[in-house]
Amino acid sequence: MMFRLSSISDAVLAGVCAACLLTTAVAAEDAATDIGTLDKETADKAFPAKPPYSPYAGRNFPTRPYFGDTHTHTSYSMDAGAFGARLGPKDAYRFAKGEEVIASSGQPAKLSRPLDFMVVADHSDGMGFFPQLIGGDPGLLATPQGRKWYDEINSGKGAQAALDIITSFGKGQMPKGFPTPGTPAYRSAWRETIKAAEEANEPGRFTAFIGYEWTSNAGGNNLHRNIIWRDNGAKASLVEPYTTLPPLGSPNPRDLWKWMAMVEEKTGAEILALAHNGNLSNGRMFPIIESFNGKRTDRDYAENRIRWEPLYEATQMKGDGETHPFLSPNDEFANYERWDKGNLDLTEVKKPEMLEFEYVRSALKNGLKMEAELGLNPYKFGLVGSTDTHTGLAAVEEDNFFGKTSSSEPSAGRATHPFVKTDKAVIMGWETTAAGYAAVWAAENTREAIFDAMKRRETYATTGPRMVVRFFGGWDFEAADANNRMPARVGYTKGVPMGGDLNTAPQGKSPSFLVAALKDPIGANLDRIQVIKGWLGKDGQTQERVYDVAVSGGRAIDADGRSRTSVGSTVDIANATWTNTIGAGEMITMWKDPDFDPALRAFYYVRVIEIPTPRWTAYDAKYFGIKMPAEVRMTTTERAYTSPIWYTP
Amino acid sequence: MIARLLREPLLQFLVLGAVLFALHGLVGKRNAEAPDKIVVSASRIANLGDGFARTWRRPPSEQELQGLIDDYIRDEVFYREGRAAGLDRDDVIIRRRVRQKMEFLAEDMSVPEPSDEQLAAYLASNAERFRGEDQITFHQVFLSATRRANTIESDSKQVASVLARADGAVDATALGDPFLLGEEFRGVSPSRVTSTFGEGFAAQIFAMEAGRWQGPIASGFGQHFVFISERASGSLPPLDAVRPAVRREWANARRLEAERKLYASLRDRYQIVVEPPSARAASADISR
Repeated sequence: MMFRLSSISDAVLAGVCAACLLTTAVAAEDAATDIGTLDKETADKAFPAKPPYSPYAGRNFPTRPYFGDTHTHTSYSMDAGAFGARLGPKDAYRFAKGEEVIASSGQPAKLSRPLDFMVVADHSDGMGFFPQLIGGDPGLLATPQGRKWYDEINSGKGAQAALDIITSFGKGQMPKGFPTPGTPAYRSAWRETIKAAEEANEPGRFTAFIGYEWTSNAGGNNLHRNIIWRDNGAKASLVEPYTTLPPLGSPNPRDLWKWMAMVEEKTGAEILALAHNGNLSNGRMFPIIESFNGKRTDRDYAENRIRWEPLYEATQMKGDGETHPFLSPNDEFANYERWDKGNLDLTEVKKPEMLEFEYVRSALKNGLKMEAELGLNPYKFGLVGSTDTHTGLAAVEEDNFFGKTSSSEPSAGRATHPFVKTDKAVIMGWETTAAGYAAVWAAENTREAIFDAMKRRETYATTGPRMVVRFFGGWDFEAADANNRMPARVGYTKGVPMGGDLNTAPQGKSPSFLVAALKDPIGANLDRIQVIKGWLGKDGQTQERVYDVAVSGGRAIDADGRSRTSVGSTVDIANATWTNTIGAGEMITMWKDPDFDPALRAFYYVRVIEIPTPRWTAYDAKYFGIKMPAEVRMTTTERAYTSPIWYTP
Repeated sequence: MIARLLREPLLQFLVLGAVLFALHGLVGKRNAEAPDKIVVSASRIANLGDGFARTWRRPPSEQELQGLIDDYIRDEVFYREGRAAGLDRDDVIIRRRVRQKMEFLAEDMSVPEPSDEQLAAYLASNAERFRGEDQITFHQVFLSATRRANTIESDSKQVASVLARADGAVDATALGDPFLLGEEFRGVSPSRVTSTFGEGFAAQIFAMEAGRWQGPIASGFGQHFVFISERASGSLPPLDAVRPAVRREWANARRLEAERKLYASLRDRYQIVVEPPSARAASADISR
């Protein structure tokens, strides 16, 4: 924020990029793409041995996280429309920017604070069945009726044309060439989506990305991915979204990646994909055996997955995806907003052996194993959260939760209506999770800066609160660094940020980490900060371990790295309130891995846990004066997950 | 057949519903063609090929085109049979689609390019929405509630007395604790301060004078003494500086108005009778 890229001199920019080059491989890639390649000599010249007198000079590393949603559906999504969503992409962006809108259910809705960025990601299959009939479709214009309407509309007699169209539609007298799926109608919906993003995008203030969701759902198993453009509408409009319905589309991610490669090659755009809801994939999201061909995932799969999918959406309205109690039996925070009854449409029930291939932590672990086997880790992804709202409203605070679909916008009955119900299982409305948002450490609020930060995985997931989380790894962090006046500067100078890599341990050294978190300024205090470590043992088996690295309220951390005293709870469920009389507003610490083996592959990520607060169901019960059934969860412990830092021998 | 359909995954069901509906427009042709005849015209085939080309940026191969045609025929057969079986009747998805299409029409037909006079008038009558935000530049001395759990009150008094004698040039930040987001904040707006420190903090600091140390201001993190070095108040920008935003808001207002008008004019054509709701129906209605 303080120094925009454009406002600092080239020398300083080169200097800082050189610093990145010397300290972090990931950031160095950036230096190469943004301003050309730097060789050592230039870098040395540009980066003076002694730092400038002013500690603020040359500071262009990210100084604040930007919060956003990579996953908002609007009425352009067929299912959202069917559930009654009336708000389109324009409304969704307006809402994200902090404007008050009238929700589809007629209630006024507004965010507590604007978001910094958003992707309207409507389903590509059947997108915007509602085309502008006035798109100038040649097929339509070739008919007398179409021509007449088109001319009327263009000469300002739109209403007259509208009535005529309605009448003709009612009588079944539509002209030949009336828009059908996969045709001009489709194109105009995509154009509308692009237009809404272009209009809402305000570099420096609000970033509106162009994107869509590729909703692969073969057999009801969720393999969904969101696609995001770094570029503007001129490039995005050169193609139309990839769908999943054959013959034009395919539900196989490998085909999506082929399409993405084609887009980059033919249009010069840069795009990325991020998947979500492995918890509803029934063992197919992070495969070791691919579901589409029954074969072991190979190097080609790994290369493509890691090339196109730098991020994963770890938490959202259809449940949390970090880990599962079955996979992490020693992690008492693992049982969080679980959706583990079956696949997306509940046509197949969950079996325990599927879980390993569905959750973030186990995927990161299997990734290490596959890297040893394939020479490449297909599951080296960073983490974000997002909403997956189908209301156009990215509203996931517990006290301002507008639901998953327009029919589940606030009402007395929404918690006790089934969300999905089959003969196999039921998921009730109350099980919907008020989560999450994506936090991105970018140098400025633009499409380019945020996209690039996503590519280098300098991101974290939150379940809704906007806490600030820092995580740096290196070999030389000391306890005193936690007291440094400029923690970020120390972090970037001595280490790599979240999403980065550590290689080849110096003789006799263990990796050390600078870890810090600030609570959401209007939210709950923090209970603790944890580091989750996963590694590949000598025996080829993966392991995981949770360390408490900072705990609030002066509680002790035992010799084994755990603090077993609960922070307690101040939640008054009946009144849906809590107090910040427990927990801490901010925590920072240096942590060194006490069990490091330089020969073993490992990853580390941070989990920040808030003190207990009322869940959205408690706010509903209070507002509508209803009594929730006994099984409904009424409190929650919100959290953040950072992208990992990987150690590779 | 219906029972089997209902067991299909939701998405497929929705897709089917939408396909049925989208093809609705072809109904008119049924009168002209024999009911048991499906004609895939040359222009239709060209259309299918164009769709493919837009996805893949190349024309379909012969085999792929055949696949597209087969699929189109399949759509058509199911569509006709589905309609004949009455599957489109009383279908909430189809009803919604139609309604959305109508609203879409209203939106698109209502927005000619606005003149400068129209935009200037809109800007003038909605000045508050386009006024730039106030901005301040400040630095702080932060006392962490976590680090000074028991001493924060007395420390705060001590810092206050030191700062009462200091001016902005003194590096006072060493009196306090490190803050994760830094100690200097340049050209920040109320919304930015709110998102970093909270609403109460923002309200207090924007009411303070520049040029001397003030505080403490309490936040969720602890106590903050602040020195405001610069202050700029937001002014109403000229139309040229905010044209895209004004145009967007103007178009949005027009869109809502056009939608309202269209609905009103259409609704006027109906005599609407709402029967007294039963108790159950009334409670279900709350959510709409």
